[in-house]
Amino acid sequence: MQISEINNHVLLFLLASIGLIALPHITHIPAPLFAFFTLLLGWRLLAVWKKTWLPGRVGLFLITLTGILLIVSQHQGILGRDAGTSLFITALGLKLLETKKQRDIYLAIYLAFIVAATQFLYFQNIFMAAYIIAVSCVLLGTLICINSRTPKTFASLKAAAVIVLQAMPMMMVIFILFPRVESPRWMMFDEQHAASSGLSDSMEPGSISRLGMSPELVFRVKFSGAVPPPNQRYWRGPVLTFTDGKRWTQSGNLFYGKFLDRPKFFGAPYRYTLMMEPQANDWVFALDMPADFSMPLRRNANYQLLTRDRFDQRAEYKITSYPSYNTGYITKTEYRENLQLPGRPSEKIRELVARLHGYDQAPEKYIQNLLRHFHQDGFFYTLFPPLMGDKPIEDFLFKYRAGFCGHYAAAFVYLMRSAGIPARVVNGYQGGVYNALGNFLEIRQANAHAWAEVWLQKRGWVRVDPTAAIAPERVEQDVDIARQLATGEVSFTSTGANYGVLAGWLKQGKFLWNSVDYSWQHWVLNYNSTRQSQFLSALGIDNVSDMVYWLVAFTGLLTALLAWVILRARTQPVDQAQRVYKRFCRKLAKAALPRNAGEGPVDFARRTSTAKPALADRISAITTLYIKIRYGRSANDADLRELRKQVKALRV
Amino acid sequence: MSTALTLKERFRLRRFLEGEKPIDRPVLLSHRRIFILPSKTGLGFVLLIAVLLLIAFIYNNNLAYMLTFLLASIFILTILHNFRSLVGLVVSAGKSPAVFAGADAAFTVYIDNPGEYHRYNLHLRIAGRDARKTDIGPRQKVRITLHSGTRQRGWHRLPPVTFYSYFPLGLFRAWAPVNFNAKILVYPQPAETGSIWPGSGESGSDNGSRSQGNDDFHGLQEYQSGDPIRRIHWQAFAKGQGLYSKQYSDGGASQEIWLDYAATRSDHNEQRLSQLCRWVIDADQAGMVFGFRLPGFTLQPGSGPAHCRKCLEAMALF
Repeated sequence: MQISEINNHVLLFLLASIGLIALPHITHIPAPLFAFFTLLLGWRLLAVWKKTWLPGRVGLFLITLTGILLIVSQHQGILGRDAGTSLFITALGLKLLETKKQRDIYLAIYLAFIVAATQFLYFQNIFMAAYIIAVSCVLLGTLICINSRTPKTFASLKAAAVIVLQAMPMMMVIFILFPRVESPRWMMFDEQHAASSGLSDSMEPGSISRLGMSPELVFRVKFSGAVPPPNQRYWRGPVLTFTDGKRWTQSGNLFYGKFLDRPKFFGAPYRYTLMMEPQANDWVFALDMPADFSMPLRRNANYQLLTRDRFDQRAEYKITSYPSYNTGYITKTEYRENLQLPGRPSEKIRELVARLHGYDQAPEKYIQNLLRHFHQDGFFYTLFPPLMGDKPIEDFLFKYRAGFCGHYAAAFVYLMRSAGIPARVVNGYQGGVYNALGNFLEIRQANAHAWAEVWLQKRGWVRVDPTAAIAPERVEQDVDIARQLATGEVSFTSTGANYGVLAGWLKQGKFLWNSVDYSWQHWVLNYNSTRQSQFLSALGIDNVSDMVYWLVAFTGLLTALLAWVILRARTQPVDQAQRVYKRFCRKLAKAALPRNAGEGPVDFARRTSTAKPALADRISAITTLYIKIRYGRSANDADLRELRKQVKALRV
Repeated sequence: MSTALTLKERFRLRRFLEGEKPIDRPVLLSHRRIFILPSKTGLGFVLLIAVLLLIAFIYNNNLAYMLTFLLASIFILTILHNFRSLVGLVVSAGKSPAVFAGADAAFTVYIDNPGEYHRYNLHLRIAGRDARKTDIGPRQKVRITLHSGTRQRGWHRLPPVTFYSYFPLGLFRAWAPVNFNAKILVYPQPAETGSIWPGSGESGSDNGSRSQGNDDFHGLQEYQSGDPIRRIHWQAFAKGQGLYSKQYSDGGASQEIWLDYAATRSDHNEQRLSQLCRWVIDADQAGMVFGFRLPGFTLQPGSGPAHCRKCLEAMALF
C-alpha cells in the first residue's frame, strides 16, 4: 500500500464514523474514560485544520500514560467486558492522535470495528444492530475514500452500502452454518451483573409491590397448542416455607425430595417453549404444574423448575404442564415445616380462626370462610399499602386491611397454619399479555405475584390465591402496566374494554413490535449450538464436518451468484447498434448491394440510395440513427429501439 | 485478442509478474491476465475478523458473530469488486518519439474502458518507477505517458506495464502485467557541447571530409530573424556593434562537409558515436548541408530534420 498523506476530507469522514461508533458506549464505560476519548477525538478534529496542534512524541507518550492510568483507576485490570471495552475505546482515541499515514487510518478503522462489536456486549436489540450496520457502512465508506483519487462523500457511502447489502445473504448463510461451540467456562470473565430486579428468594411485605412498577420482560411463552385461560396462568417460582413473622424464606431442607409421592396429572396438557430473559437466579418459571421437561432442567422438592445451565443469558426450554394434578401424600418433613410458626399465635388471631371455623370444620370450609372474610369485611387491594409495624400480619388483618398479593398470601398461610393446616407461600408470576401476532405470552416483572398452597387430604398441594378473593380482576385480567406506572394505582385491563381507535392502533403496533422482537430473540440472539444442531439436523446436516462442507458449498454458490450480478457485462448500446446495423447491411447485401470493406456508413448510404431510390429515406434514417448512437454524445435507448424498428421494417 | 495458452505457459511464474508474450494488438484485461491477492491491509483485515470471532466466541454473542460474518462476507465480496476494477479494460501502447540515450523514454499507453462502470484509481507502473494513477469513466479512453529510463542506444522496449488497483476497500490488489510490443529508438547520447569539430585536430581531413571550423566563414551579414542563433557573431554583439550573422560559404559541392565516423577520435566505439551524434546535431542546428558516413553506411549530403533523423537512426542501430 502506498504511504501517502491523508487529505482532510478522508479525515473528517473517519472522525465522524468513529464518533458515531463510540457514541452508544456513553452509557457503558466510566464517564472519565468517555470524556478522555471525547477529548482526544475533539483534539484530532481541531488538528484537521491546525496541523501543528498535534502532540509530539513526548506529548503522545504522556497522553498514553494518562489513558493507561485512567483505565487502571477505573477498572481492576484489562480483562473482562467493561475493562476491555474501555481499553479499545482508549486505544482508538490514542490511535487517532497519531493518524498521519494511510496505514494509521486502516488501524483506526479496524479498532473501530472492534469497538462496534463491543457494543453488542451491552445491547442486543434490533436498533443497535441496525445502527452498527449503518455505522459500518460509514467506516467502509472511509476506506473507499482512501482508495479514491478524488474522495466523494455520497458516492463512497453509496458504494459502501451496496457492498454491505451484497454481503448480507452470505452473512446469513455463514451465521446459520458456522459451527457454534459454547465457550468453555474458564474463558468467561466474571462479570458483576447489574442486579436485575426480579423475585427474590425471600418475601417481605412490599417486596412484590416494588416489582409492580417494572415493565421489564421476564420471559415469554410460546404455546404449541392451546393457550391456558388467564386464571390458570400461574408461573411457579420459589416456594417459601419458613417465616419469622415478617419475612418468608425458602426451606433449607430440600432432601425430602426423594420421599415425595409421585404427582399425578390430569386434563389436557399445555406444551410450550419458555424463553427466559437473563435472570439473577436459576429459577425457571414453568406453568403450574410442570410435568415434562428435559435437560438442563430439574425439579426440586417444591415442584419448582431449576436450570443447571447459565441463567444470566437468554435461554429456551421446552416444557409440558398440566392444569390439574394431585401431588399425593405429604412427607413428615414437609408436614412439620409447613406448620411452622414463630411462636404461638396471638389471642386475636386465634379468635379470628375460631370465628371462621378453623378449628371445628373441614379445611375446605375454613378456606372458603377465610376468603369470604377477605372479600366482604372491608379488605382492599393496593400497590402501596401502609407501612406495617412489628407484627405485620396482625396489623394487616386487624388494623389496615389493605395490602398487595404478598400480604394476602402471607396472612392466609399464617391463618391456615394456626388452624393446623399445612400451607406455604408460592412466589412467581401470574398472567401475561397474549401477543396474537406472534402467538406468545409476555410476562413482565409487573406480573410478579404471590399465592398460597395448602395441603389437603386426597388432593395433595392445592393452589389457593387469596388475592383472587379480594381483587378477582388481578387474576382474570392483566395488569395494565402503563396505567400502573402513570397513576401508581393498581389497574387492570379487561380484554373486552373499548379502546379508542388510536389506542387500538397503538396496541396493535405494540403487539407487532413485540412479535418482531420475539422473533429476533428467538431466531437471532438465541441461535446457539443446541438450536443450531436442532435446526440443521432437521435439514439433514448432522455433524460439524457436514456443516463445514455446506458452509463452503453455500458460500461458493453465493460468491458465484454475486460474481454474476457484479461482473455480468451489461450489454452496451453501442455494440447492439453495431449488431443491428450489420443486420441492415446483410439485408442490402441480399439485394446485391454488399458494403465494401472500408466503406463508411455515409458513403454506403449514398451508394445504396442511388441504386435503390425507393429506399433512400429509410436508408438515410437508419444511417443517421446509427451514427448518432455510435458517435453522438446524447444517444439513448429510445434511439436504439427506433433503429431496430427501422431496420426491421426495411424491405429490400 | 489473445491467443490460447498451453498448460505449461499457463503456470509459468513469469506470467504473474511480467505478463505474457508481447503482442502488438490491444490487450483485453480478462480473468486470464488479472491476478488477485490480499494486500497487507487485507491481511490485517483477516486478523481483525479473527479478533472479532474470538470476542464473539468468548461472550457467546450472536450479534458479534454477525458482525464478524458480515466483515468476512465483505472480504470475499471485495475480491469481485476488486476484480471488476480491472476486468474489461482494453489497453494498448501508442507510437512514441525517439529519445537520446540517458533521457527518459516516454511511452504512450491508451486505456479504453468500454464498460458501463467507472474505474477508480487505476494504477499503472513499470518496474522501478512511481505509479501513475487515473480514473476512467464509462466508455472513456485515457492516454497515459509512462517514462522509462534509457541507457543504451538502439531499440528500447517498453518494460512490462503492471496495471493494478486496490479499489474499493484496499483489502486486495488486483494486478495485470502486460507486455506490450512497443519499442522506441534510442539515439546515442550526444557528447558534451563544444567538443572538437571533425578535422580541426592534426589527424587532418585526408579522408575527404572538409574541415569546417568557426573561423572558416564567408562574411558577416546583418541579423535577420530566422537566422540560427549559433551563427550570431557574439563578439561583434559584445562590442556593441549590433547583431550580425556569420555567413558560411554554402551551396556549392565544394562547401559541403562530411561527418564521418572515421574522423572521431576515441578508443571506444560508443564515445565515437557520441561525438558523431553531437556533430550531427550541431550541423543540423546550424542548418548546414552535410554528408554522413558510418562504416558500411553512407548518406549523401543533405539537410533538414528528415536527413538528420536518418543519420541518428543509423547511429542508433549501428
